[in-house]
Amino acid sequence: MSVDSPDKVIDRSAKLVFSFFLSSAGLWLLTAALLAYVAAAKLTDPFFLSTYEFLTYGKIKVAQANAFVYGWGGNAIFAVSIWILARLSQAEVRGSVFIVFAGVIWNLAITFGLLGIMDGHMSGHEMLEMPTEVWPAMLISYLIITFLVLVIHRSRQVRETIAPQWFILAALLWFPALFLIAWNGLEINPARGTLQTVLSMWYGQSLVWLWLTPVALGAAYYLIPAILGRTIDKYYLAIFGFWCIAALAPWSVVHHLEGGPVPMWIPAIGTVMSIAMVFPIAVASTNFHATAFMDIGKVWDSLPLRFVIFGTLSYTVSSYIGVVFSLPAVAKITQFTIINEFHFNQRVYGFFSMIIFGAVYFALPRITGKEIPKAAKSFHFWTSTLGVLMLLLAYLIGGLTHGVLAGQPSLPWASSVIQSIQPYFLITKFAFIILAFSQFVFVVNVWRVIFPNPFAFFAADDKEASA
Amino acid sequence: MNNLAKFTIGIFLTLGMAWLAFVVGARSQFGDLVPTSEVLEDDGSVPVDAELFPTSLSGMAKQGAEEYAALGCVTCHTQQVRRVEAGFDVERGWGKRPSAPRDYVLQEHVLLGNSRIGPDLANVGLREHSDNWLHQHLFEPQSIFPSSLCPPSPFLYQQIDEPVKSDIEIVSNENADGNRFVRPTVRASRLVSYLQELKQDYELPEVSFVEVEEDVIEEEVVSTDISVVSTGAPKWLQDQIDTGKEIYMKAAPGGGMCFTCHQQNGQGLAGQFPPLAGSDWVLGDKERLIKISMYGLMGEIEVNGVKYNNVMAPPGIPPGSLTDEQIASVLTYIRNDWGNSASAVSAEEVATVRESLKGRAPMQMFTAAELTTPVQ
Ligand code: HEC
Ligand code: HEC
Repeated sequence: MSVDSPDKVIDRSAKLVFSFFLSSAGLWLLTAALLAYVAAAKLTDPFFLSTYEFLTYGKIKVAQANAFVYGWGGNAIFAVSIWILARLSQAEVRGSVFIVFAGVIWNLAITFGLLGIMDGHMSGHEMLEMPTEVWPAMLISYLIITFLVLVIHRSRQVRETIAPQWFILAALLWFPALFLIAWNGLEINPARGTLQTVLSMWYGQSLVWLWLTPVALGAAYYLIPAILGRTIDKYYLAIFGFWCIAALAPWSVVHHLEGGPVPMWIPAIGTVMSIAMVFPIAVASTNFHATAFMDIGKVWDSLPLRFVIFGTLSYTVSSYIGVVFSLPAVAKITQFTIINEFHFNQRVYGFFSMIIFGAVYFALPRITGKEIPKAAKSFHFWTSTLGVLMLLLAYLIGGLTHGVLAGQPSLPWASSVIQSIQPYFLITKFAFIILAFSQFVFVVNVWRVIFPNPFAFFAADDKEASA
Repeated sequence: MNNLAKFTIGIFLTLGMAWLAFVVGARSQFGDLVPTSEVLEDDGSVPVDAELFPTSLSGMAKQGAEEYAALGCVTCHTQQVRRVEAGFDVERGWGKRPSAPRDYVLQEHVLLGNSRIGPDLANVGLREHSDNWLHQHLFEPQSIFPSSLCPPSPFLYQQIDEPVKSDIEIVSNENADGNRFVRPTVRASRLVSYLQELKQDYELPEVSFVEVEEDVIEEEVVSTDISVVSTGAPKWLQDQIDTGKEIYMKAAPGGGMCFTCHQQNGQGLAGQFPPLAGSDWVLGDKERLIKISMYGLMGEIEVNGVKYNNVMAPPGIPPGSLTDEQIASVLTYIRNDWGNSASAVSAEEVATVRESLKGRAPMQMFTAAELTTPVQ
């Protein structure tokens, strides 16, 4: 025991929590992949499973997004942020049992939430479609976990904080605030008319911008220097980037309402702020890529880093594309098209998930002391890359086609506009099959390390300690 | 940055500012919009006894909105006509004018949506689809547009082997073994009345209709036209209307005596009995009508803008004794005389409603309020 480095002790203290969240995240990832496939298949053949009400397209589509964001996203956020914060604080994870207990509640809440959606209790608010009955359970379990994470952070050895800590802490704290605002404005004190939509759109988009995004950025700020063994280039910009996101993102997300039945200033502010988002995007991408490209050979060799850099590149590209698409002249064409799917998937697959994969591949061997075979990781990387690129290209080109054709009033809708984008739906279906396969490999990789022998999980702990 | 408390305050401040603007600010700006008339007086006031818009959805349509939300139709359909400079929506014929915030103030579920794999539905009620067309579309859109991606909802229908007249015929050009017949469940009927009531066909002080060159819009070719009433009533319908009229006028067992109160011309009596001609209670959703004809109605009710407060005992002699067929016929009749024109009511629909009211005590009259608030 005494010879163990402090990092090792911390890693060991995080083992239970990390393994729990990661293995649940894996299950959600597979659930979401399956649902994504079913939804995509229904767009190529509307009769696919059409006799089952609980599998109708609208429900599956929504269940998929929720499983992905709250199930996979939520659990992955807990796993990665607890570990990174513990490492950076040089403090052990305490109260694991409570964290896991709250985690179980979180997962149960989402499970019931998804069943509720399929059973016909969808609320109709963007990203809050789960029936209101499960909201309290989600919020309380989330708060317990966050509280215990803050305890880790408070017991840190070094008072100075650095970029990964800001991003991750901010994300952890923003979520309950957003959730409470939305809950209040949609259920407790329900807003009337289209105010409801302003609020639920604001919530749904902010969830991606202020919850998933900062965690992934924080992880990248941690992993890139840690793996490359060098400091972040132009690190002094990071703080500017952070506050830009904090200040601009909550405003920028409403540009999707352009032209709709809301006061004009709302989408107008959104558009201006979206354009201003070029600053934080530029900061993050300078920080990441200037650092990474000093040692590109090493990036390529280290699989975790390859995932992370894929994610950061994807972040940069997608964010700039997002800025372009928020310009009113462009929005006129692309608004309401399947470009929306491009944005969502770019963010959650191309950026968030890829960075999380990298973080997991980096952390897991340290925490469990077992390596994942390189070939397996590499296979996961290439299938993910292929799947993500296929998916995004299909949605991008399909979305532009959709928008341009829809803009010609003389073209009939079903037989011309929609028929022309059907081939892209077929491509996305195959992309989702590839992704499902790839994620299956990921989950197997992870599970084999966490549960080499399912019955000896806790016993293995002891052996390691005595070894 | 190093002090957690200060840091927390900082990040909540940035979030709080956006919240102040979008939630608090917007709420105080347009949170208290109310229905208004199409044009205002010069001094900005609403003219006396002008019709107010938007009107609220009927009870059945409100329930339909819940179905619409629960089935996730919003994942593919928006309900908002964008401003002319922001999109092609008006040109495409999706509305006579852009939608305004006021259009939505009476809706409980505002389902603007942000994805259009399907066409915008803010004005689907203006497209002159018959109920039957909408039912066929809901049951199996592909029987109308073979390449449609709109999901079929066969689970909202009962497939029928031995059809009766009011069942819906699924006419398909490809099906070799002949046409199929389906019977809508109450949920399907709710959804259809919701769709029929989605229309922004009035002007508001803040938006007026937009002129579009007519020839720009090319209607989609509809492969089947199954609207019932418009092309001269088919025989079964005419029969049902005739029987219905007899029941309406009959003041003996088997009759409904409706004319004694609502009058032969369907105009009712001022201050006592509301009119049936042009009443949206009569033309609107069937479920509500069926309930009235089975159990009667009391309490305050507004018909065509005029309030009544009287009692209508369960019709029939003895009260409440009308059979499913009789109710179906008399309702079909009142929906199709004195200028009224709406879809027929079938005995099966009446039976379904009767079934859903199993627990209700006999003779327990409905109130208008009960019929307009959706049952949870
Ligand atoms: C997968 C996306 C999708 C979903 C989900 C969807 N629709 Fe559609 N819908 C379409 C498409 C595409 C069309 C155009 C082709 C057609 O008319 O069938 C359409 C057309 C329609 C139309 C005809 C509009 C008109 O004016 O001609 C109606 C009505 C409609 N849908 C209702 C619904 C309802 C009700 C639901 C929920 C149960 C729903 N849709 C769910 C894609 C969808
Ligand atoms: C004893 C007089 C009486 C008879 C008979 C009668 N009604 Fe009514 N009806 C009323 C009154 C009074 C109201 C308004 C009740 C209220 O104030 O809530 C009403 C309301 C209605 C309404 C809803 C309001 C409207 O005008 O659209 C319908 C529909 C209706 N009756 C249909 C019928 C039908 C069909 C029959 C015959 C089967 C019938 N009534 C027989 C007195 C009568």
